[in-house]
Amino acid sequence: MKATWDIFCTVVDNYGDIGVTWRLARQLVDEHEIAVRLWVDDLNAFVPMCPGADAAALQQWQQGVDVRQWPAEWVPIEPADVVIGAFACQLPAHYVEAMRARAKPPLWLNLEYLSAEHWVEGCHGLPSPQANGLRKVFFFPGFTEKTGGLLREATLLARRQAFEQSAEARQAFLQRLGVYPEVQARLISLFAYENTQLGNWLDALAAGSQPTHLLVPQGRILADVGSWLGQARLEVGDVRVRGALTVQILPFVSQDDYDRLLWSCDFNAVRGEDSFVRAQWAGRPMLWHIYVQDENAHWEKLEAFLEHYRHGLSADASAALVALWRAWNMDRDVGQAWQAAQQHWPELQQHARDWAARQATRPDLAMALVQFYRNWL
Amino acid sequence: MKTGKELKPGTVLRIDNDPWLVQKAEFTKSGRNSAIMKTKLKNLLTGYKTETVYGADDKLDDVILDRKEATLSFISGDTYTFMDTTDYSMYELNAEDIEAVLPFIEEGMEDICEAVFFEGRLVSVELPTTIVRQVDYTEGSARGDTSGKVMKPAKLKNGTELSVADFIEIGDLIEIDTREGGSYKGRAKK
Repeated sequence: MKATWDIFCTVVDNYGDIGVTWRLARQLVDEHEIAVRLWVDDLNAFVPMCPGADAAALQQWQQGVDVRQWPAEWVPIEPADVVIGAFACQLPAHYVEAMRARAKPPLWLNLEYLSAEHWVEGCHGLPSPQANGLRKVFFFPGFTEKTGGLLREATLLARRQAFEQSAEARQAFLQRLGVYPEVQARLISLFAYENTQLGNWLDALAAGSQPTHLLVPQGRILADVGSWLGQARLEVGDVRVRGALTVQILPFVSQDDYDRLLWSCDFNAVRGEDSFVRAQWAGRPMLWHIYVQDENAHWEKLEAFLEHYRHGLSADASAALVALWRAWNMDRDVGQAWQAAQQHWPELQQHARDWAARQATRPDLAMALVQFYRNWL
Repeated sequence: MKTGKELKPGTVLRIDNDPWLVQKAEFTKSGRNSAIMKTKLKNLLTGYKTETVYGADDKLDDVILDRKEATLSFISGDTYTFMDTTDYSMYELNAEDIEAVLPFIEEGMEDICEAVFFEGRLVSVELPTTIVRQVDYTEGSARGDTSGKVMKPAKLKNGTELSVADFIEIGDLIEIDTREGGSYKGRAKK
């Protein structure tokens, strides 16, 4: 009999929470033959990344996953063998009580946010005995062997490679999105939170000697793009040219198409957690817009990742990369930092591929969760 | 009831009916403004020790403890003997039991501590929020800064290192805030 897993997701303010849990649920079904129920409190955030999904349905099957509306009024249900509370979300009290009532309580995992900070290794896998007698376990994704790893489907890198080797596949994909770049154009994708430095960067791209085609999926950065273009409102399909820069607005695409978009581009600006991880697997130079936290706690996370990621780069390339990422996240001159990074482009390209290859030698997050469950049994 | 973020060394939790002493508690922001508390717990019945993690908002049963004033009497190896200031009873703790405050424990200290008892047994000691210690070693002032914003390393008599204001000199008395690992607060009056 298949093991059953319940994954609980509260949508906070973006697509990161649902993006990670939806991806994890799909992978558990596809690769580990697990029966997964994904409980989501706001399916409106789910629909854009799973076209065809119904935001109003109480229950629906999507790609083998039993997707459930997490109701405000909880309806009693038998808990699964494994229960994952994603990103410290609070499970329904009645559900927790039902977990406690089971002859053998489920494995209860708190899947945490991704961070490269050193303390993560010391907290990964630690128990959290609760007042009600249940034991929760904290599970941390991460970049080292002492963490839970990163989400990565078994066939991901092979699919990327096949896509990269087929100019036709790339062209067909871009055409499907209505993208027709100049032959010599550099392709860049932009997915970010609001960023006051965007104008500086776009100025640099517009003034550059190489044509750039900037692809902007719908999202929070769109207002800043519009502001730079002098347009109050931008719509999907809009194409605007300023100097060497062509800006094109794309729809919010499915997760699989977003991968193809990353693979199609020469440089990817990403944000938060899910797109950040996918950009790493794309193996291309990237720029991370980290989620802002109180007291600038996110700066430590940014530095912690850079400390890992820069390893192996020459001193000059490393300095250029770090300067660019800090500029984007700490409101410094991105245009200048972008120019400096161009001087090290071949090295940054190779480094991005090496980083993806090195990370791929470690077990992925879904596998690590499954293995943890097997050991727990 | 206590929440995860309220845990601190000396707190005793009741888990599965056993009393567990929090020996160490480290607070960390994890992401999206959520936070976790990593703790080192000791089972007061069996002596078993374990590390745990709690979410900042996790609700936990704490045990109401007896507290008395005590002073450090003497140190012998890893054993620290405290004396009840009212009835002069002596109580021993080992270094692990007071790991969180150990950096600021030193022979001859006169601080009135709070001794924490569980069922008549001393389980932990808490220092006052502000203590005064003498700087045993620090480099001379490099920049002549008097603002207190420029910091430099210094060492206390027991070897504990911390950052102090640039104008602090060897032999100066400094005030230390003992919460969250201990930090320099200012120069104390001699």
